[in-house]
Amino acid sequence: MHELSMAQAIVDTIMDAAEKNNAEEILEVTIEIGMLTMLNPEQLKFLLDVLAEGTLLENAKIIIEDVPVEINCRKCQYTGLANTDGSDHYLAIVLCPQCGGRDVETLTGKECSVKNIKIEKSDEDA
Amino acid sequence: MHKIADVEVQHDIMVANRKLARKNQKILDKDQVFSVDVVGAIGSGKTSLIEALIDAMNYKIGVIAGDVISKYDAGRFEKHNVPVVGLNTGKECHLDAHLVEHALHDMPLEEIDILFIENVGNLICPVDFDLGSHMRMAVISVTEGDDTVEKHPLIFQDSDLVVINKVDLASAVGVDSDKMVNDVKHINPEIQVIKTSLKTGLGFDEVIKAIDLYISGH
Repeated sequence: MHELSMAQAIVDTIMDAAEKNNAEEILEVTIEIGMLTMLNPEQLKFLLDVLAEGTLLENAKIIIEDVPVEINCRKCQYTGLANTDGSDHYLAIVLCPQCGGRDVETLTGKECSVKNIKIEKSDEDA
Repeated sequence: MHKIADVEVQHDIMVANRKLARKNQKILDKDQVFSVDVVGAIGSGKTSLIEALIDAMNYKIGVIAGDVISKYDAGRFEKHNVPVVGLNTGKECHLDAHLVEHALHDMPLEEIDILFIENVGNLICPVDFDLGSHMRMAVISVTEGDDTVEKHPLIFQDSDLVVINKVDLASAVGVDSDKMVNDVKHINPEIQVIKTSLKTGLGFDEVIKAIDLYISGH
């Protein structure tokens, strides 16, 4: 249960970007969460809402995008999207779709990124 | 007048930890210290296994004892006359590379060959946080139930060695330890899985051999 500390780090990142760009309000935030992280997007969203209270982020729309798992198979050299065994939840076992192997290098799927923010700012800053 | 602006941020919070982890490994490599991140369930025998390894291995060993409150495990390691740094995580459920970096400053790295980093007992959260160690050893025990592996696949996918401890208690708790081995192999076919009982000594020499092999291949 490290969603709270991750949510705090996300909020800090957003606030930093908002301040640097002289935001008066944050309208929308897009966050990317890799499917191999141990982060539950529902919990994360709840905690972001809690931490946003009383800040520029308070009324922002928070969009959480899943990042699928891409791999490089060490056995058959396949590169691309992985098959995930049990992909209905966030504890996927990664498989190579070409040879079924599990000896794979993970290229994507471990992200926890603030992708972009949409802000409102005074026109004088333009 | 107000205007709306899109600001590209592209800041990955996980990348910051991974960068620090690489830095930790450089610090360790500089003094030729091989480090093992010991992860596993609460009460699976991580501390007892490290204590036994300190006594049995022909290396100079140091330990970072990570826990919500670390003084209990740190006190146990100190009795074996090895350098110990306790790391309190407080409310956090895992160690991260930043905490380990602080602990490395207090560890006499030039005096040791192997550094065991005992992580917080947890099969979920440590998965997300690389510490910069050279090897990850997962320790679980039969008393957690034989569905433990199936329920926490990622930590076994990310480990280099798995120890299934307390197998002397398997029948008493109605657990099939072979199922646990097979479940690990299903997730990570190449990984070595060793059944141990620290009480009877079963499998312990194999654990030493496995770590030795990893060190020599490093």
